[in-house]
Amino acid sequence: MKIFYTLFLCLGTVLGFAQTKISGKVTDTKGNPIQGANIFVEGTYDGGSSNEKGDFLFETQAKGNQVLQITFLSYETIKQNIVIESYKPRTYILKESANTLNEVVITAGTFEAGEKAKVTVLKPLDIVTTAGSNGDIIAALQTLPGTSTVGESGRLFVRGGEADEAQTYVDGLRVAQPYGASSQNVPTRGRFSPFLFSGISFSTGGYSAEYGEALSSVLLLNTNDEESVEKTDISLMTVGLGLANTQVWKKNSLSVNAAYLNLQPYQALIPQNVTWNKPYQTLSGETVFRHKSEEGLFKLYAAFDVSKFNLVQESINNPKNTEVDMNNQNFYLNTSYKYNLGNRWQLFSGLSFGLGENKIGLHVDRLHNTEHAYHLKTRLRKSFSKQLKLTFGADYFNTNFDENYNVFQTTDFQYGYKANIVAAFAETDIMLTKKMLLKTGLRFANNDYLHQSSIMPRVSFGYKVNKTSQFSLAYGLFEQAPNQAYLKFTNQLQNEKAAHYIFSYQYNKGSRTLKTEFYFKKYDNLIKYNTRLAEYNSTYTNLGNGDAKGFDLFWRDGKSIKNLEYWLSYSYLDAQRDYKNYANKVTPSFAAAHTLSLVTKYWINDLRSQVGFSHTFTSGRPYNNPNESVFMNGKTKVYNNLSFNWAYLISQQKILYFSVTNVLGTQNVYGYEYANTPNTNGIYDRKAITPTADRFFFVGFFWTISQDKKDNQLKNL
Amino acid sequence: MKTIITVVAFFITSLLVAQTQFEQGMGNALKMWGEGKSAEATALLERIALAEKGSWLPNYYIGLIATTDAFQTKDKEKITALLTKAQQVVDIETAKDEKNPELMVLQAMIYTAWIVYDPMTNGMKYGAKAQAIYEKALIIAPNNPRVVFCKAEYEIGGAKFWKQDTTPMCEQVRKSIELFDSFKPESAFYPNWGKDRAEATLKTCGGK
Repeated sequence: MKIFYTLFLCLGTVLGFAQTKISGKVTDTKGNPIQGANIFVEGTYDGGSSNEKGDFLFETQAKGNQVLQITFLSYETIKQNIVIESYKPRTYILKESANTLNEVVITAGTFEAGEKAKVTVLKPLDIVTTAGSNGDIIAALQTLPGTSTVGESGRLFVRGGEADEAQTYVDGLRVAQPYGASSQNVPTRGRFSPFLFSGISFSTGGYSAEYGEALSSVLLLNTNDEESVEKTDISLMTVGLGLANTQVWKKNSLSVNAAYLNLQPYQALIPQNVTWNKPYQTLSGETVFRHKSEEGLFKLYAAFDVSKFNLVQESINNPKNTEVDMNNQNFYLNTSYKYNLGNRWQLFSGLSFGLGENKIGLHVDRLHNTEHAYHLKTRLRKSFSKQLKLTFGADYFNTNFDENYNVFQTTDFQYGYKANIVAAFAETDIMLTKKMLLKTGLRFANNDYLHQSSIMPRVSFGYKVNKTSQFSLAYGLFEQAPNQAYLKFTNQLQNEKAAHYIFSYQYNKGSRTLKTEFYFKKYDNLIKYNTRLAEYNSTYTNLGNGDAKGFDLFWRDGKSIKNLEYWLSYSYLDAQRDYKNYANKVTPSFAAAHTLSLVTKYWINDLRSQVGFSHTFTSGRPYNNPNESVFMNGKTKVYNNLSFNWAYLISQQKILYFSVTNVLGTQNVYGYEYANTPNTNGIYDRKAITPTADRFFFVGFFWTISQDKKDNQLKNL
Repeated sequence: MKTIITVVAFFITSLLVAQTQFEQGMGNALKMWGEGKSAEATALLERIALAEKGSWLPNYYIGLIATTDAFQTKDKEKITALLTKAQQVVDIETAKDEKNPELMVLQAMIYTAWIVYDPMTNGMKYGAKAQAIYEKALIIAPNNPRVVFCKAEYEIGGAKFWKQDTTPMCEQVRKSIELFDSFKPESAFYPNWGKDRAEATLKTCGGK
């Protein structure tokens, strides 16, 4: 009986809890009631939902100190400590959680491509499906505003800046030799195959203090964080073949690829404007290893390539022409580790190493150079709150360059340099309100070769007007050591300098994006020399200067016409420079005033095909005509290039790809090379600088073998 | 001795009460979902999930409700919010048990929803992931009817696009119906859905 009594008492305690009423109201930050929020006492089943007036009421059996939790989809969760017995009804204000659509970001100068981007301008696939890009990341980026089309170079020229003013980073670490081997007026391409990178951020100015040694632009490439599918890819192309394999085990994945390209069949079929003694050949391999753990991510990326070609370089000044024999070897290693230290601290640490070696035969002379370049970086990031983030870190760049120039049977010239750059940077992100973001940064760098220290402040500000549009402003000072072509002869120079001022407006709704930017750039300390070419006995100074101003427009639309994606880029550029051996401040030869690109991609479902057209137009480029008294007064005719591509999906795993660059065979002229001395009539003769061929065509067959039948190489094209 | 018995009795009673509370709560939540009150059902499930961290079922149903809703709405912003939510709860439970076939099916459904959301961008990326996770689930649980059916349903979608023969997939759908019939849920609220959809799919397959 006694037991029964006790039991009864116990049961009573368990079942017959006292009920307390909990009530209140839920609104958003503007005071509007929120319906359907979930209000409950944490750890119990007791709770309720708010009604259309935002009011809620429920009963709970809980006692004493408890946590009242309020959740609602796309709003931040509230956790409120309460004492049940003394609870008083009140109003709870829910804040909209920051997401892609309502959070302010700084967009000045930046084009994002990739999965993590807030507003993607380019998707990872776009790199390879843009007609005319032929799988070259750089060529695809040249369809974005702010870039100049410089066909004889193939490199990135951004907003009136030279190609070497754009620096490439892979996983946050510098790539010392981002471009493949080439010779004068033969275009190069980016060294990296696009399909290893899931995120690409291309900044045309005003970038973060984390990135140094770049005067005009940074291109940030991020390797894939993970591969989830094991597969083998086989590529058969008119220009070569490739093989790739991915293995996944536990938290690791390894991708390896190798390719051999030989342009002989293409050069035999399409008339060439250059005489090739030996066709362009390259053997390359890349590998990425990733290890993911609870707290961190380790990545190792390595790339190796060997390129060879032999051609006859025609020159107006050398009737016999020069035979150029190129042998290039390149190795790039990049390892990085990202680690969450807890308490919202994140550590990034990495090392990159680049080795570039060129053995070049110039007729009977020999040029041999080697560059070793290291970059070490450590960065710490702390998120104090959503409103305040701090990033700081240090960089170390080491460059070791040696060159040997052997003049046939006479002299050996030996020269080169070693440079160490030590830099530190710090940056804060302050969200002043949900609509206003301020980023301030400072970079300090010391170059021991030039005996120079510099301080570079950078500020940017973003203001979100509404869900679809926002403004950004950016200002920054940027410095970069002069080009290797000068540093190998002298260290009596200073860093080149640039100041960027950018105003940007962006509109984004669904798959429509409009981006406009106005900018002004001021250059100082540009390198000048007093000879026809930059030579060992030239006098080099920092007396050059320049400026660039302009307007960029970008419009992307994937909505208006079914199955059609297109983007339109327009750049207006007014650039003036007094550098190199220029007589005075003029528009440099690479800077056309107007550049217009239209890229289209149309999906034909019945044919299981994607068909794309790209067209690039640029206005005439300046050139110097010594027959005229005014320096740099000539203008080439306009440039037009219409390219076409067609990807046909034979089956899930087999793709046939076809592309033609410059379909119409427009005879483009990049500029003119003039004779050093006038002919008998007193006139300087000239030779047009033209593409190595008027057209390029490509046919490829890509086959993916995997257990999983859905994967294919479309992104590999 | 008496005290011990008393304490044990008390303990068991409490457990029983707790058990009943869980079952009652889950029952109520699933009833509300059945009545089309997804928000209320989710709200209750969220409370249960936080109180019963040992069970993966509340979060599983939160994810299932959100994913099902995502398939049915056209509002892109809402789809993003729903799928983000579904992914959150699946991540919580997958971290505890990454070989749970039901969670794997749900994960594959989330990927499929992302593909539907934007086929051009997500098709390549999530298509491979969804397929890979179905393959894995099939190795772990070859006789789970949802694994067999959902995988076949997903593959039918692809085969239709490629104008390929769907007979082998339809055969799998047929097999899944047998598996549905013989399927014994491990516990009261163990997932037990899909048979009606499998039957409907089999009809369009031209099957008997």
